[in-house]
Amino acid sequence: MSLRISRRQLMQGAAALAAFGATGLHSAFAQDARLRLIFWGGQARADRTFAVADLYSETHAGTAIEGEFLSWADYWPKLATQTAGGNAPDIVQMDYRYIGEYARRGTLAPLDGYVGERLNLDAFDADQLSNGTIDGQLYGISLGVAAGATVYNATALAEAGIEIAPMAWTYDDLLAKGREFAAATGGAMALSPDGSGIELLFENWLRQRGKALYADGEPAFEAADITQWFELWAELRAAGAIVSPDEQAVDTGALETSPLVRGKAAMNFTTSNQLVAYQTLVQDALGIAIYPAIAPGSTGGHYRNSSQYFSISARSAAADTAAEFIDFFVNTPEAAALLGVERGVPASSTMREAVTAELDERSQMAVKYISDLGAIAGPVPPTPPPAAGEIEVALKTKSQEVAFGAQSPADAGPQFFQQVVDTLGRAR
Amino acid sequence: MTARSMETGVSATGRAVAKTGVWARIWQQDGPGYLFLLPWLIGFFGLTVGPMITSLYLSFTNFDLLTTPDWVGAANYTRMFTNDPKFAAAMRVTFFFVIFSVPLKLAFALAVAMLLNRGLKGLPLYRAVFYLPSLLGGSVAIAILWRQLFAGDGLVNQFLANFGIIGPSWISNPNYSLWTLIILSVWQFGSPMIIFLAGLRQIPQDMYEAASLDGASKWRQFWKITLPLLTPVVFFNAIVQTIDAFKSFTPAFVISGGTGQPINSTLFYTLYLYQEAFGFFRMGYASALAWFLLLMIAAFTAFSFLTSKYWVHYDD
Repeated sequence: MSLRISRRQLMQGAAALAAFGATGLHSAFAQDARLRLIFWGGQARADRTFAVADLYSETHAGTAIEGEFLSWADYWPKLATQTAGGNAPDIVQMDYRYIGEYARRGTLAPLDGYVGERLNLDAFDADQLSNGTIDGQLYGISLGVAAGATVYNATALAEAGIEIAPMAWTYDDLLAKGREFAAATGGAMALSPDGSGIELLFENWLRQRGKALYADGEPAFEAADITQWFELWAELRAAGAIVSPDEQAVDTGALETSPLVRGKAAMNFTTSNQLVAYQTLVQDALGIAIYPAIAPGSTGGHYRNSSQYFSISARSAAADTAAEFIDFFVNTPEAAALLGVERGVPASSTMREAVTAELDERSQMAVKYISDLGAIAGPVPPTPPPAAGEIEVALKTKSQEVAFGAQSPADAGPQFFQQVVDTLGRAR
Repeated sequence: MTARSMETGVSATGRAVAKTGVWARIWQQDGPGYLFLLPWLIGFFGLTVGPMITSLYLSFTNFDLLTTPDWVGAANYTRMFTNDPKFAAAMRVTFFFVIFSVPLKLAFALAVAMLLNRGLKGLPLYRAVFYLPSLLGGSVAIAILWRQLFAGDGLVNQFLANFGIIGPSWISNPNYSLWTLIILSVWQFGSPMIIFLAGLRQIPQDMYEAASLDGASKWRQFWKITLPLLTPVVFFNAIVQTIDAFKSFTPAFVISGGTGQPINSTLFYTLYLYQEAFGFFRMGYASALAWFLLLMIAAFTAFSFLTSKYWVHYDD
């Protein structure tokens, strides 16, 4: 048993906390080596991760793992504060928007020295290794392959008598079926959430048009693109195909606040690995589809991303043990079986084969989705510039201004573009 | 050579003796006092003055939490006023909140205090009940409760539905979200109410008797007796509540999930400061924001004290 605390448990009461703290501290002091591990995610991810940590402690006597997990929004402030205080956990979970920022500031340890010895990456997919490489050095070990995906409520769609082609549907379908769906449910539930503020979806739409979010630290799109993007969603909004702006604004990024889980929309634009987590929160059967295509047969929007990485803090005193733990995490069939595909499909081909047969139906769907992407997917974009996280927030705010009618798409486009240019310029 | 060194030796010893004497005397006089003060002194210098000076220094740097800070002069302060629309938004939200929540809260507190001052039975109970929100109001739990109350399918809308009104999702609509926070603040009227209640007790009853004999209405008595004699308490409450309102953070943080959304309509100054510091790693800029907030509050307080002689009556 290791010490592990989440915000939720903290709020659930002092008694629970005391019990957790007491058992955890007790075992931590009795052990020789301690590894601190921090990650973002929900309870489902925490249960799986801690099961692997316990397994590691059992098989490696003398090593205790102190795990801590937070929601996405709480995670980054906490990690930044701990890093600034020279107190970062040994193993930190990283996101592709932040890994460049942390690595270039020298807060992560380069892992090249461990490869071949403590870290066996022979069976790893090449694109997953290059995703974790910044300026020629390996800083992050991919914990799973994931791609942008639409998770939809199959039960609700069937009840409304609506069908979509999961691997081929388009924005025109979203409009037409959205109208039908709204008519069938009497407006109680919309077909889609308001995706205008979702950075991944916008990026996908840009890539289908042959553009990108960033190239060489500059925006790789134009003001006219973002205007058209907002116009597209304004049309969907007017048709009743998407939820109202105030329903969308309730979504703070935690799964349980999404319109899909709250029963306000029949889908959500997310990543493929999240299908498993959403299914634990929704009674109805969920399905998985691509992000809408801009035209039938359009390709190149999706890509095989690394859903997240494990990295080692530059100042970790137990970096060797940390590397061994990461190796255990990504290369042991027992660990892979516990983890499933909640973080995405394993990046190692041997682990992929080991787990796939054992998976439940939803997880199998997520795995199949990745392999079905095939030619629909394009190349992986380069590591985003610093401030990518800030621009993600800015897009959400700007999309709300348009959705609530405070600004027209024609005004919002150039303004947002200027905001992106300014933010990138400041971060350089 | 020998004599000289001996001489220096002697004088040095002499000085040392004198020094010990002074320190011993200081110790005898004040030592135990300082010893007892030590916990507070350590806290004051280690946790308040030290960090304040550090943050003043950082406000002139580009500190990003992860690498060593570089001096950038007044660039952070310049950016605040010339090139930061979010700062302007945060200022608007904060001033709107202060201007509406403080007077509403004080008016409400005074009204309830006057009700309670009429010699009700069970006064201590009412006082405790009305004071309770002041203790709870700033907490995370209440903010979460508020989120539930004012959500699209929350209690408030269920109540309104009885009258055929379909309410919006109050907390996530930019037209109303700040008002839900103002109501939350006004609801915590307990602590100014207790102070008003004490102030009302100080007003001599014979003044009201004299006024009644002269035929002054209750309304007139309020404006001519109660309010003027209560101005020192109003003054105190206004300053304390305004400073609190400027510093308000938790409710906005919890209700908007730390984002200040929708459309930055709940982006309180302190929330923006927090985002800049810990969300976007601009600790230098955030330090500058913190110092500007301190200056704003200081300026407001100084202004209140300077104008107080025109409207606060200390005639006892």
